[in-house]
Amino acid sequence: MMQTNLSLKLACLGMFLFCSAEAFSQGAIARQLTRDGSMKRDPCFIKNGGEIIFCYDETPDLVRMMVMSSKGGEAKPFIKDAGDKHHVEPSFSSDGRYFAYTECTGNLTAQLVIKDTQENKLAYIRHSGRGGTRSSCFSPDSKLLVYAFAETGPQQLWSVKPDGTDKKQLTQSEGISNWPSFTPDGKRVVFTNSRENNYEIYSMNLDGTGEKRLTENKLMDVRPVVSPDGRKIAFTSTRDGNYEIYVMGIDGGVAYRLTHNQERDDYPAWHPDSQKILFVSERLGRFDLFEVDVPPNRILNLNTMNDSLSGSGSTGSGSTGSGSTGSGATGS
Amino acid sequence: MLEFGNFKTRTCSGVGRRGFLQTAATVPMALGMGLPSLEAVETERVRRKAKSVLLLWLWGGPSHIDMVDPKPDAPMDFRGPFGTISTKTTGMRFTELLPRMAQRSDKFSVIRSMKTTNGGHPGAGTVALTGYEENAGPIKPNFGSIVAKQRGATGALPPFFYVGQGIPRDLPRRIEGYGGGTLGKAYDPFLVSCSEKGKVGIPTLAMLPKMTPNRIQNRKNLLADIDKTRRQLDSARIQDWNRTHQTAYGLLTDEQARLAFDLTQEKEKTRDSYGQTTFGQSCLLARRLVEAEVPYVQVNWSEYVETFTPNGDFGWDTHIYNFELLQDRHCPIFDRAYCALLDDLDDRGLLDSTLLIAMGEFGRTPKISNRAAREHWQHCYFSVWAGGGVQPGRCIGESDKTAAHPITRPITPLMTGTTISELCGIGARERAELKVLDGGSLIHELL
Repeated sequence: MMQTNLSLKLACLGMFLFCSAEAFSQGAIARQLTRDGSMKRDPCFIKNGGEIIFCYDETPDLVRMMVMSSKGGEAKPFIKDAGDKHHVEPSFSSDGRYFAYTECTGNLTAQLVIKDTQENKLAYIRHSGRGGTRSSCFSPDSKLLVYAFAETGPQQLWSVKPDGTDKKQLTQSEGISNWPSFTPDGKRVVFTNSRENNYEIYSMNLDGTGEKRLTENKLMDVRPVVSPDGRKIAFTSTRDGNYEIYVMGIDGGVAYRLTHNQERDDYPAWHPDSQKILFVSERLGRFDLFEVDVPPNRILNLNTMNDSLSGSGSTGSGSTGSGSTGSGATGS
Repeated sequence: MLEFGNFKTRTCSGVGRRGFLQTAATVPMALGMGLPSLEAVETERVRRKAKSVLLLWLWGGPSHIDMVDPKPDAPMDFRGPFGTISTKTTGMRFTELLPRMAQRSDKFSVIRSMKTTNGGHPGAGTVALTGYEENAGPIKPNFGSIVAKQRGATGALPPFFYVGQGIPRDLPRRIEGYGGGTLGKAYDPFLVSCSEKGKVGIPTLAMLPKMTPNRIQNRKNLLADIDKTRRQLDSARIQDWNRTHQTAYGLLTDEQARLAFDLTQEKEKTRDSYGQTTFGQSCLLARRLVEAEVPYVQVNWSEYVETFTPNGDFGWDTHIYNFELLQDRHCPIFDRAYCALLDDLDDRGLLDSTLLIAMGEFGRTPKISNRAAREHWQHCYFSVWAGGGVQPGRCIGESDKTAAHPITRPITPLMTGTTISELCGIGARERAELKVLDGGSLIHELL
C-alpha cells in the first residue's frame, strides 16, 4: 500500500514537473500592466513590489519618470515640476532613502542625480567635458552607487557615495562597459562589456578583480540584472532573432528563454520575490509593461550555483540595478 | 544631348517626346553600339518612371558602421559593440539592430559609398537635399521641389509634402535647402504632422485662433478665421500666407485630401505593423499620400537633429548615447517602420512605381569618441533604395576597413538628386530647362 502511494506520488510529481516544463517551454503567459502603448523603458519595482516606476515618452520630445501601482491603474509623474529635461534609468536604494536617475541637462550633456529623500537633498554627479552617465545601481547596503560613464575613452564603471562624494573609477577595460548590477552580498558586480566583438555579460569583485565571463554569444547580451535571491541573472539578448528576455544562473551557464514574442521584449526587472520579472514588451507595435512568472529553479536548470557569489539568498535583501527592489523611496 | 525625333503624340505607353530624348541620351554609346530598338528604349523609359518618391529623411547623421556597414574585424575603438547578422544579399551583413531589414534585403539596395562635402547639419542637409552647398550662389531647389515643378499637383493635394513637426533644423538654424530655392517658394513642401497615434495636423493652421476640428469642418468659420489672421500679417508675409492658407483650405475641404489624411481608414493590423511611433505612423501617412498620387513625400525622422537634449525630438545626432540610443530607440523604430512601409507598398502593387529612399545628411566617425559615441562624418555614409525602377538586392559601393572612406566610386548627393529626377522621368534636357542639378550624373549601379 505504501509502495503504491509512493509510486503514485512519484508519478504525480513527474507529471507535475513535465507539465510545468511544458507550460514554460514556450514562455509563461505574461500579464499586461499598462495599455496606453506609448514608448516605455526602464521599469522597476519599488515599495516591496507594491509600486512600479518606469519612463515613457510623454511627448515626442520629453521622456518622463512615472509611478503606478503594481496592480495597474493610472500612472502619475514621479518627479513633479520636472521641466523639459529627459529623465531616464531610475534606480532605488534598498533602504528606501535614495533614488537616482540620469537627467539630460543640455545638448550633449546628462548628469547623474541622487536624491536623499530623508534629508531632501540632491547630489549631482558630473564629470569633465560633455557626456552622459548611464545605468546607475545602488549597492545592497545603500552606501554606494555604481554607474557607467565615458570620460576620456572607453566607457568604464564608476562608483560614488550617495551624498555625491568619493567618486572612483572601478574598471580600466577596453570596449564599452555598462549596466552594472550588484549581487545581494554587495561583493560582486555583474555588468556588460563589448571587448569580445559584441556585448557579453561578466561579473567582477567590487574592486575590479576576479572578473569572470558569463556569456559567450555572437550577438548582444545586455542589461543583466541579478535576482534579489542572488541565484539568477535576467538579461536581454538578440540571440534568437530579436530582443528577448533570458534567465541564467548567477555563474552563467545555459540561458533559459523567458519570452517568446516576435516583437521586442526588453528592460527586465526582478520582483522582490525573485519569482516574477517586469519588462517592456512591444506587441502589435505598442509598448507596454508586462509581468511574467519565472519558472522554478529546477526547470531553469541552474547548473552552476555558487553560494559565494549569491550571498545568503535571502529574498528582497538586495538592490539590483535598474531592476531595483528598493523598498520605500518616493518622488519629490 | 542627342535628338532622335518627335514622339510627342505617343502617349499610350506613357512615353513622351522628352522622355524618349532623355532616355536615348543616357543609353551608353548608343551610336557606337548600334541604335537600340524603339521597344528597348521604351522599356528603358518605363523602367525609369517612378510615379512618386518617398524619402525617409534620417535627420542628424545615422551611424553607417553601426547599421548597414559594420566592420567586425576593425580595431575595437572603431568597430562598436554590436554583432552582425547575414542578410538576403550575398556578402552583405548588417548589425543585429536591423533584423527585419536583413530579412528583406532582396527588396532594396544599399549604397555604402556615399560621400558629401559638408560636416555641419544644416549645411550638409542642404547638400543632401539639393545637391549643392548653401554658399554656392542662390539656394538650389530641393529634389522634391524639382519633381513638384515638373509634375504639378494632383487635385487639392500639393505635389510636395513634408511629414514632420517642422522644417528640419538644429538648435541654431534650419536647413536652407528645404524647399523651392531658385524655383520659387511656390514649390516649397507643404508641411503636415502625424502623431504616434496617427493624428494628422497642419502646423500652419496653428496660427489660427480657436481652430478646433469642428470649426474646421465649417467652411465659413474657417474662411473667417483665415481672413482675420491674414489681416494681422504684415505685407511681406501675406504672399506666403495666401499660398499656404489656400492649400490648407483646399486640403481641409477636399474629400480626397481629407481621406488621404485619415489614418483610421486603415485596417488596425496595417497601422500596428508600422508601430505606434511618430515615425511609424508618419510613414503610413506617407504611403496614403503616395496612394493619392502625390509625386514627392519626405518623412522627417525628427525636426531637430539633437538626440538627447531638452526639447529635442531624438534626431540621429548621437554625440552621446550613440550605442544606447541606436539599440534602444532609433534602430528598432526605423527597422520596423521601414519594413512595414516596404511590405505595404509591395503588397499594394505600389513599389514598382514608388521610389523609396532612406538616408541622412552624413554618417558618423568610424572611431569611437571619448564619450563612447560617434561624431559627424561626411566622408562616408549610406543610403537605402527600393522600388521605382531601382534594381533590388544589391550592395553598391564599398568602404575601407574602418568605414572611413569609400574605396569604390564615391556616390554624392548631386548624383542622388540626378538619379531621383531621372527615375521620375525628368531627364537631362528637362533638368537643363529648369536649370537644376547641373553636372549631375546617374548612379548607374542602381539601375
